[in-house]
Amino acid sequence: MRTRAVLSSIFASLGVLVIGWQAGNAAVQSATTATSTTTPTTTTTGGSSGTSPSGTSTGSNTTTSTGTTTAAPVAPTTGATDGTYAGSTVNTRFGPVQVQVTISSGAITDVTALQLTNTDGRSVQISNYASPILAQEVLSSQSAQVSNVGGATYTSQAYLQSLQSALDQAGF
Amino acid sequence: MRRTFETMGTVVSLEGVDDATVDEVKRIFASADSRFSLYRPESELARIASGELAMMDSSVELRTAYADALAWSSLTSGAFSPNRPDGVIDLNGIVKAQAMQAAGERIGAGGWRDWTLNVGGDILISGSTMQTTGIIDPFDRTKLLCALELRPPRVGVATSGSAERGDHIWLGGSTEPAEYVQVTVVADDIVTADVLATAIVAGGRSGLDEITGRWDVDVLAVDRAGAMVATPGIREALAA
Repeated sequence: MRTRAVLSSIFASLGVLVIGWQAGNAAVQSATTATSTTTPTTTTTGGSSGTSPSGTSTGSNTTTSTGTTTAAPVAPTTGATDGTYAGSTVNTRFGPVQVQVTISSGAITDVTALQLTNTDGRSVQISNYASPILAQEVLSSQSAQVSNVGGATYTSQAYLQSLQSALDQAGF
Repeated sequence: MRRTFETMGTVVSLEGVDDATVDEVKRIFASADSRFSLYRPESELARIASGELAMMDSSVELRTAYADALAWSSLTSGAFSPNRPDGVIDLNGIVKAQAMQAAGERIGAGGWRDWTLNVGGDILISGSTMQTTGIIDPFDRTKLLCALELRPPRVGVATSGSAERGDHIWLGGSTEPAEYVQVTVVADDIVTADVLATAIVAGGRSGLDEITGRWDVDVLAVDRAGAMVATPGIREALAA
């Protein structure tokens, strides 16, 4: 019950981050568009950044003056550049929750809950959460050659019929 | 050369050491068996259970094991417990893993580096190379559920189930069957792996979440319908 509530609060804050990320992405696209149209202006104005339109001022200061690299420096404020970003801390009845997102090549590649303090005041690591795994995913590992078999404790008698016994006899 | 011997009601498979070391390991398990096994009426713990011996008059070893078990009970909010509902103190949930740990330390002290110790399905490994361990299918014990690649520091793998021996799991007086029929925990030491596997079977989903949040362990749990949940570490360890 408590876990479900905690998770839903995490997903809620994650949702906020994703929306923010999408918004950021849109901002980058518009900035890129703006850059391409204003590039001639930028190159002609050179180092005079004061007259540059907002969003391209950084590019105007680059030594190449081509204006092609303007999109990247703009991006950090929007969060779409490759890197790791921590979301704002959201207060829940279970304590503060903060989510961290890693973005690589414009896509979210990892999401981790940075920290969450439960009602007992203990720090909880949500990144180790156990999630459903398909039988198919697990089954594909079965073809590997194993040297031991783990399982719930078998009795001496059950051992005789066990896979472990077969492996032991084979002298693996 | 792999050697096997019986102890504590199960079978030990040990590989990677010489015969003299196997004998030393045998003695470690025999000592734990004679002290803690409740099926031996003359064992120290059986004499405490019968009221013949008072806990205060017991050996340091027994009191230490009981204190360790109580500490784990507290850490797992009672999901793991040495106190049986019938009032008997049962340390089987911890002494086997502690004997494995002691055996591992003894083997290491002898200079052995690459070895595997399997005690009734709980596994402790040592070495620099990866070892592939199969995990049994709880619904068909002639089959493997999966194979996991173990690499140090992940050296301990313990599996608890509600299927075979009950594994000393008491579900707080509940008559409901356990949510998970089998729970495998991979950890940096065998005692942690063993205790937490038992605690997750007893604690169900909420116990699982509590434990994976607080301990650096990998968990694979199979529920009664055969559906599985796994932590990221298990997915990474699945053999290719």
